[in-house]
Amino acid sequence: MIAVLRAEWLKLRTTSIPWLLTAIALVVTGLSILLYFVNHGNGGPEHPGGFGPPTPDIPHTVQQLRDLLGAGVGIYVFSLLLGVLIITVEFRHKTVTTSFLVTPHRTRFVLGKLLIAALAGAALALIVLAGTLLGGGITLSARGGSFSALAHQLGAVAPGMVLVYALFAMLGVGVGSLLTNQVAAIVVCLGWFLILENIFGGIWHGTVKWLPSGAALAASNVSAGTREQIFLFNWWQGSLLILAYGLAFATMGSLVLARRDIT
Amino acid sequence: MTSAIEVRGLSKRFGSVHAVDDLSFEVAQGRVTGFLGPNGSGKTTTLRMLLGLVSITGGSATIGGKRYRDLDHPIRHVGAALEATSFHPTRRAEDHLKSVALAGGIPLRRVGETLELVGLADVARRRVGKFSLGMRQRLQLATALLGEPEILILDEPANGLDPQGIQWLRSFIRHQAEVGHAVLVSSHLLAEVEETVDDVVIISEGRLVLQSTLADMAAQAGTGTGMRIRTPELDRLTRVLDAVPAGWRLTAPDTLVIDGATPEWFGHFAAQHQIVLYELVQEKSSLEDVFLQLTTGFATPELAMPDRGPTPFPTDAGTA
Repeated sequence: MIAVLRAEWLKLRTTSIPWLLTAIALVVTGLSILLYFVNHGNGGPEHPGGFGPPTPDIPHTVQQLRDLLGAGVGIYVFSLLLGVLIITVEFRHKTVTTSFLVTPHRTRFVLGKLLIAALAGAALALIVLAGTLLGGGITLSARGGSFSALAHQLGAVAPGMVLVYALFAMLGVGVGSLLTNQVAAIVVCLGWFLILENIFGGIWHGTVKWLPSGAALAASNVSAGTREQIFLFNWWQGSLLILAYGLAFATMGSLVLARRDIT
Repeated sequence: MTSAIEVRGLSKRFGSVHAVDDLSFEVAQGRVTGFLGPNGSGKTTTLRMLLGLVSITGGSATIGGKRYRDLDHPIRHVGAALEATSFHPTRRAEDHLKSVALAGGIPLRRVGETLELVGLADVARRRVGKFSLGMRQRLQLATALLGEPEILILDEPANGLDPQGIQWLRSFIRHQAEVGHAVLVSSHLLAEVEETVDDVVIISEGRLVLQSTLADMAAQAGTGTGMRIRTPELDRLTRVLDAVPAGWRLTAPDTLVIDGATPEWFGHFAAQHQIVLYELVQEKSSLEDVFLQLTTGFATPELAMPDRGPTPFPTDAGTA
């Protein structure tokens, strides 16, 4: 298993995928931080995630931190794309022939991708977290806040973020195993998260906790419990739900791949 | 002599198209087998079924008695270099091989060894996107050799190689057989593998046309097909031939061919009629002729020919 992960990591880092996505995620994080501070004076932005009431009883710095990292949590879509790209790149460049010659059991191939995606997703979370802390902390202290107070709160949000990123990267692999056309898979993922989920959640509020983004919001609450939202699952239920979605897609993808002719 | 590869009643249907139809053949250990047929005859599909990349509609294809997917660490037993396999363009040659070695449980020292072997050691750190077709072909071969396999499956390996590369490939393939490995090498040109192979498996339209040793095929090819005669007395010769009667056709103003004739028969015939001969040659079919005859005996689409006779041999007067 270690050898498989080493091989997959070597394959991943020799493509432009992880570097490009990390760079874009960091840029988006930076812009979010900027936007947050611009808006903060006049009532602040809506609650991170776009719904639910703000929780005014938590200390001010924690609120700021949560807002900042809330922007980070929203970037989990990049982790999803990371997962999608990790598997679809093999089909786009036809390297899958070699991969299947080395690993003829296609379920094992998908499993390897799920594992490396989970690790890469977690790594992306840590990088975005560090970027948020650095960028947000510096801006915060420049505006009279406290950097160390922010840093001290890290433990409360980091586990949830790492968890959500890892799970979403696995979900991406699941989707990519079923939709091996890279462009199609990206379009479907972005279309779902940017458009369809909002429509679903807007029309049927009861479905929100069952949607991947609702589950992500629940799962990101792993160590806090402070942002308890009555209409969401708790953190481990949310995590299991994302994992279930990912594994369901990956299972379907493996079954389809098993019959697929690689010509 | 044990079989390294066994194909039994293998069939593949893509929709209504029978790409491979009830195909059976064997590849022996320690020998080079040429897998021949025109383009689109089902060679690549057969090889991909053998390697578990394309699903089998009927029959079986086994390697050492096992399906490819049931082999433990398959690339340590079977090295395959397939057409249309690609590399990630930003990956360096060395990293490509390393990733295969890691996933296949092969020691990393093999990476350098195989790069050296195929002559890519100098460009090991170059990105594959910058490689020429010939270099990719070599890297493909290096990938196949990584696990020191005892069976090699090469799909049109000479494509894109320069003459020196082809020469090297031939001696390399021969060496593999000498050390007891089995090699199955596909080609649509018999001439390309003629000097390398021990056995031939010829298919056309997905069906087996011939499995034999190259020697047997050459013996078949060596038989005479007729006599070619150059004579100043063409008119008299054709008259006496028509009287026999014997079929003939003109190939040049002073040369004709008598199909099916033997030197013995014609020698007596010419002496009997006292015909002056300038040239007397027995026409023999080449390996290529036999190959073409075998593979076009089936209904392959005919090439469109311009609506006129063969181009005349150019003369000074004829060129304008």
